[in-house]
Amino acid sequence: MHASPALATHRDGLRLDLSDASFGTAFSDIAVRRMTALAPEGKLRSLEAAAELVPDGATVALGGLSMNSAPMAFVRALARRGVRNLTLVAIVAGMPVEWLVAAGCVRNVISGLVSLEGFGLAPRFRAAVQAGEVEIEEYSEHTLICRLQAAAYRLPYMPTKAGLGTDMLALHPETTREQHDPLTGEPYVACTPLPVDFAVVHAAAADSRGNVRVDPKLVWMDAELIKAAAATIVTVERIAPHSSFVAAPHLTTYPRFAVDTVVEAPWGAYPTSCFPRYRYDGDFFRAYVAAHADPATAETFWQERIAGPETHAAFLDANGGAGTLLAIARRTT
Amino acid sequence: MSADWSIDELMVVTLAREFTNETRAFNGAVSFVPVCAYLLARRTHAPDLVWAASSIAIDADPPAIPESTLSDGLWDGAAMLSNSAYDFWSYAQSRRYNTFAFRGAQMDAYGNVNNTVIGPYESPKVRLPGGGGMADLGCMIPLIYLWSTTHDPRTFVERLDFRSGLGWGDGGDHRERLGLPGGPQLCVTNLCVFDFEPTTKRMRIRSVHSGVTVQQVVEATGFELPPADGDVPETDPPSIEELRILREEVDPTGARLREFR
Repeated sequence: MHASPALATHRDGLRLDLSDASFGTAFSDIAVRRMTALAPEGKLRSLEAAAELVPDGATVALGGLSMNSAPMAFVRALARRGVRNLTLVAIVAGMPVEWLVAAGCVRNVISGLVSLEGFGLAPRFRAAVQAGEVEIEEYSEHTLICRLQAAAYRLPYMPTKAGLGTDMLALHPETTREQHDPLTGEPYVACTPLPVDFAVVHAAAADSRGNVRVDPKLVWMDAELIKAAAATIVTVERIAPHSSFVAAPHLTTYPRFAVDTVVEAPWGAYPTSCFPRYRYDGDFFRAYVAAHADPATAETFWQERIAGPETHAAFLDANGGAGTLLAIARRTT
Repeated sequence: MSADWSIDELMVVTLAREFTNETRAFNGAVSFVPVCAYLLARRTHAPDLVWAASSIAIDADPPAIPESTLSDGLWDGAAMLSNSAYDFWSYAQSRRYNTFAFRGAQMDAYGNVNNTVIGPYESPKVRLPGGGGMADLGCMIPLIYLWSTTHDPRTFVERLDFRSGLGWGDGGDHRERLGLPGGPQLCVTNLCVFDFEPTTKRMRIRSVHSGVTVQQVVEATGFELPPADGDVPETDPPSIEELRILREEVDPTGARLREFR
């Protein structure tokens, strides 16, 4: 599986360096439209245009960890677009897998853990797997990370002690096999490369060239996804001037050559958190789980609060709008 | 000297008393009981205990515990946020982190745990969240602690439907043969405390909680337990001070009760 031809063209295409200053820090759907119009080969896209890049059957790795920093605005755009037969790679996840499964976009989930944590089991995921509609390819966290690292390093495998003695290895002996060191005889697990078409991660800021800042620092495994992926889509809380990256290069997390598409999506991790800007919305998770007690209320919830709203702003409004956002905003100094 | 306590409090306190200033711990998902125990131990007898909240936020001291133990809501007061995943997995594999607690929907006599499926893997009766990091950390970490809030024959089984996390494996020297350090030390349940027989590595009753009989534990356990060696002691009750710190400082909102629904 390789990235779409459209994306390859996009990667190799002419990059116009428009002045960053005019795109400022505002919530700038307008700026994105303008940028796209002015620079069709540039990296900035709207959520909808970025979702168009992902073809049916692609392998998509989703960033974040459990309740934190999942690229939810992009996931929603992908769900609304109705892409099909995706293979999702999600090391530890919940809500993003739920939405894409609910929208019928997913054929296979490669993951270490799918749950809604203290709120409960992931209802759509669980039902779909039990009904045989979605396949789960389960790894332990570390063997999955090792597979991504093997892909990043272009190595035949990465070794680890993780998973020895468990039933995990026998689930997929072709990708996690127990071997023995030829000199010492010590057993280990060889984890073969997991090639990814698209890594999708959420971050604090990017410039229009694709330099990305995770602020204050990267604590998740998102970098492993990017390094294993043919192409990377990053959603950010805001587009920042290139000069702000030059002024503090030690704060840049991903270099522009590793980032293909940038989407400005303020509150783009909602309802998961974006540390240290906002917390996860516990009310959303509670209501989501409660709605799934019954198929009819689940469908209503899905239409009214997730899939139905036409824009990102309308989606936030459908979930309490400014009142919700003020409630989850962290007060940082 | 003791006071009225509830089972969640007894479990947290019992686990906390196992930890020391040498404990260097971290936590995974839905781990309210051990998170409370680390925080309690640090505030009572083990001030130097290391705890990385969500395996990320080192020395965190949250004012309360949120609905998710893998969330940034748990990180307040931390002295450091880990550098990506490399920090965590390197310190785990080099055993600088030495303590991990996990549980599952099923557990066997050797402390192996299932959190993957009930029923056959290919056509599960119940699809559980998955093993997450337990298959990794069960192998890497020398001091493993287990807990269960549902001590019954469905949870404590002779044979797991799936082995997601490694305890003592097949027992005996199995971990040693795999080149793995340590193993499970203890399992605290809502009825009793199990430890592990040193040779076979099978669970045995260390103490029963107040009001619980050995016979009740035997009936609630789906695998065979060795006959009790003399009188089985009662689990030491929490002290008034432990209860006060747990209720007022560690977990004022009662997040731990999420595991007792």
